[in-house]
Amino acid sequence: MSAVTRARRYLPFATGGLQSLLQYRSMFFVTGVTAAAGAAVTVFLWRAVYAGSPGAGPGGFTAAGITTYLLVAQVLQVLHANRVDDEVAAEVYRGDVAVMLVRPVSYPLVRFAACLPVVAANALLVGVPVLLLFSFLVPMTAPTAGNAALFALSTLLSVLIAFCVNLLTGMTGFLTTNTWGVRMLKQSVVAFFAGQLVPIALMPGPLAAVAMALPFRGMVDGPLTLLLGRYEGVAGALGVLAQQAGWAVALAALSAVLWRAATGRLEVLGG
Amino acid sequence: MTGSPPVIVAENLTKEFRVAERGPGLLGALATLFTREHRIVRAVDGVSFEIPAGSRTAYIGANGAGKSTTIKMLTGIMTPTSGRCLVAGIEPYRERQRNARSIGVVFGQRSQLWWDLSVPDSFRILRRIYDIPEPVYRRNLRLYRELLDIDALGTTPVRQLSLGQRMRAEIAASLLHDPAVVFWDEPTIGLDMVLKEAVRVLVNRANQELGTTVVLTSHDIGDIAAICDSALVVDRGRVVHQGTIQDLLRTADRRSVTFDHRDPLPLPAACEEIERGLPGVRASEDDGGRIRVDYPVAAFTSRQVLAFLLDRFDLADCYAPEPDLEDVLRRVYERDATESASPDQPAAPVESGAA
Repeated sequence: MSAVTRARRYLPFATGGLQSLLQYRSMFFVTGVTAAAGAAVTVFLWRAVYAGSPGAGPGGFTAAGITTYLLVAQVLQVLHANRVDDEVAAEVYRGDVAVMLVRPVSYPLVRFAACLPVVAANALLVGVPVLLLFSFLVPMTAPTAGNAALFALSTLLSVLIAFCVNLLTGMTGFLTTNTWGVRMLKQSVVAFFAGQLVPIALMPGPLAAVAMALPFRGMVDGPLTLLLGRYEGVAGALGVLAQQAGWAVALAALSAVLWRAATGRLEVLGG
Repeated sequence: MTGSPPVIVAENLTKEFRVAERGPGLLGALATLFTREHRIVRAVDGVSFEIPAGSRTAYIGANGAGKSTTIKMLTGIMTPTSGRCLVAGIEPYRERQRNARSIGVVFGQRSQLWWDLSVPDSFRILRRIYDIPEPVYRRNLRLYRELLDIDALGTTPVRQLSLGQRMRAEIAASLLHDPAVVFWDEPTIGLDMVLKEAVRVLVNRANQELGTTVVLTSHDIGDIAAICDSALVVDRGRVVHQGTIQDLLRTADRRSVTFDHRDPLPLPAACEEIERGLPGVRASEDDGGRIRVDYPVAAFTSRQVLAFLLDRFDLADCYAPEPDLEDVLRRVYERDATESASPDQPAAPVESGAA
């Protein structure tokens, strides 16, 4: 079977997901308000920190630079809230995953197809408006065209990493019924080690080294490094992208192996 | 059903689960934080059977038959601990996706439709997933429109449908891609009589025109009787009955007659008189104020009982209901239990001529 035929089989999960999503339009409004409020708090806090340093402040950020970093980090976080962890965990917990398994499709790929409209809708209906709003309120750094293109590519890779991380988080439902705790833990770990709460450049040396080695770095710090031009030459930019791609492949392979193992010894589905 | 090659084969199919042992109460729950004891539960215990192609079989089982677990292995969701099964020549759990193309499934408690979408939208998605050819899709939709009144479900999201409406859509969805075998696992059909009949017609058509094999597990005797022509009764891993449902009913060891009479005799006295005249028979008042007589077929023929009643009472009405399938099954399981308890004692024959 050709790859195109295979991909076509997953397309209806994406369109169906979009259709379902459009039934909950007000949800995007709520997500947008929450994201904007969160962004406002961090942005005004950090702007106060950088107010005293007219040139490059801590971590080599200017006031406009750190503002851009935090706002785009917030938008990336919204983009990564693809709900895969919630839905996989719920379907495993309730046993609804059984229904998926009687279809001639791969469940992880179904989940991937179904999360694409969520990501796209979050980007268009929440991310872009929030960025536009703040661009009128506070000074931000405009990226060069090249950096913007690198950022776009890097963001796509970050979406893949976020999907795998959330899929793996959801799959803990096979091991524990308390996936809520696991999801909370994941959220905190990602927010911290991705550099969303505090840029990795501002972390103390050893901690920064750990953060740079983890896959979460590719979710926020990676794309922003490229957007703000905080890399050294072409090699530096390619290094960031290569690390992201490497983690995306590794996590996808890990998900596939664990998924196989989990379904092979599927038990907790009720008699 | 004779002569058709089997479409489903189970050979020594066994599935064991590990269940965490938990003490009672709060202390017991706390103890599991430190120690985990597991117990092995055998849900399916060495079951072997064959289901011929084109049959509509009720899969009935008591302890150790693990109906739903068996269905999960036949549909490829679970892998057996030992033994194996084949569906249309494929081992489902080894080639799950390939097997999924040739089967249709309804899990009574779970929906396979898209919760937030309408039924037609769900069907459009299924059409793409299963690559259903246009003429097949059109033909089936026409059939569902005609028999199940599927258009009445309109654009309502599935989550807002009633159970009966949803079940109709689930059943249609399981047949949409012309599967070779459909598994309906406790579909608690929730349909009224008219729709139950429609489902029956639908299944019969698929069965006759496409040779679709139907496997139903259900606790609802009505569903079984409406849909299935044959029964496969499995107990403790052995097939204890395979044949038509009528044959199964004929193995009943108790029959009953219900009647009303015009004599001035009070009810308890009438019952007493019957029990005295026919030793071993139980007479009691039924819900409608009539007298119900239960008699063992080993001791009396229907003719003897009826002759006695005609002789003693001025009958106003009288009927003999079908033997209760539930009773028959209970009897099958009980016999099995006593047999395994005393293996050297020959089992009493339960077959009898009284039908």
